[in-house]
Amino acid sequence: MKFLVVDDSATMRRIVINSLQRIGFNDTVEAGDGQEAVDRFDPSVSFVITDWNMPNMSGLDLARALRARADGANVPILMVTTRSVREDIIAAIEAGVNNYIVKPFTPQVLKEKIDTVLSAVGAA
Amino acid sequence: MATRVAKELLYDSEASLRLVDTALAELRTQNGPDDAGADVNAGLAGLPALLLRAYTEINGALQTLRQSRTALEHTAVEKLHLTSAKLKEVSSATELAATDILDGLDRAIAMVDELESAEAEGDTGRSGEVRQTMRDELFGLMGHLQFQDITTQQLNYASSILTEMENRLMQIARIFDPSLFGLEVPNTASDQPAVAFDPAATTHDAETRQALVDQIFG
Repeated sequence: MKFLVVDDSATMRRIVINSLQRIGFNDTVEAGDGQEAVDRFDPSVSFVITDWNMPNMSGLDLARALRARADGANVPILMVTTRSVREDIIAAIEAGVNNYIVKPFTPQVLKEKIDTVLSAVGAA
Repeated sequence: MATRVAKELLYDSEASLRLVDTALAELRTQNGPDDAGADVNAGLAGLPALLLRAYTEINGALQTLRQSRTALEHTAVEKLHLTSAKLKEVSSATELAATDILDGLDRAIAMVDELESAEAEGDTGRSGEVRQTMRDELFGLMGHLQFQDITTQQLNYASSILTEMENRLMQIARIFDPSLFGLEVPNTASDQPAVAFDPAATTHDAETRQALVDQIFG
């Protein structure tokens, strides 16, 4: 399973990728903002983990852009962000995000959310 | 305080001009109909209008000063307090993360000692457990480094407020036409690269905030 990890913070990308490797997901590709993620996305990507606040294109716009593409309409998207007010969470759902993690997070929470999303997608 | 001083200045100017106006009127009355007196009278007759115009201009300048002061008070003070609070939070988050990382390193070092002891005793079971615990501990330390992303956002927010303040101050400075005093005011604040940040980014209460997310996602 290939993960696309999108965050403008190189530290955060490294933390997420290390956490994924620890869980057992070793195939990852990274992008520094939404636009770069759109450019790097292809059908081989089976899971997207994205930050919200990024230059050029936000994680919210990335989710909308992927949902508008035939090859991204169903890809699981997990938002990992500091934003945590109700309006933001609802906006993320409306943009097509499958689940949501508030920073700072623990690797356990990351694993739990990935499992939840994969179960939901598998069940759908 | 500044408003009171400006008002006093305004009232004093107005009172002084009225006194001058009254004195001039009396002078005109006393001068009589001779030619020299008529010239003086003609010259003096235009003076009140001139002084009134000066008074109006001073009044306008004082009004502008008052508006500038109010604008500064409403935006600058509140935003500077916010910036100060954000910078304190950065300091606190950095301190907390450093403490957590040091605690984790202490525990890891203690585990190395324990591992050495277990291996010296030939207790492979225990040494395996310690190795796994140490791996978890070191991995956990990596998570504490998330403070870097969050404090960067907090600093970007503080920086954006300072840039906004700089722009407002330059707008106010331009009102007073600094070129008359041989000064130059740049048109815009110093260029900064585009950054995206959450103004409310915080390292606090992550569990409570995650609980709200989980409640909404069901």
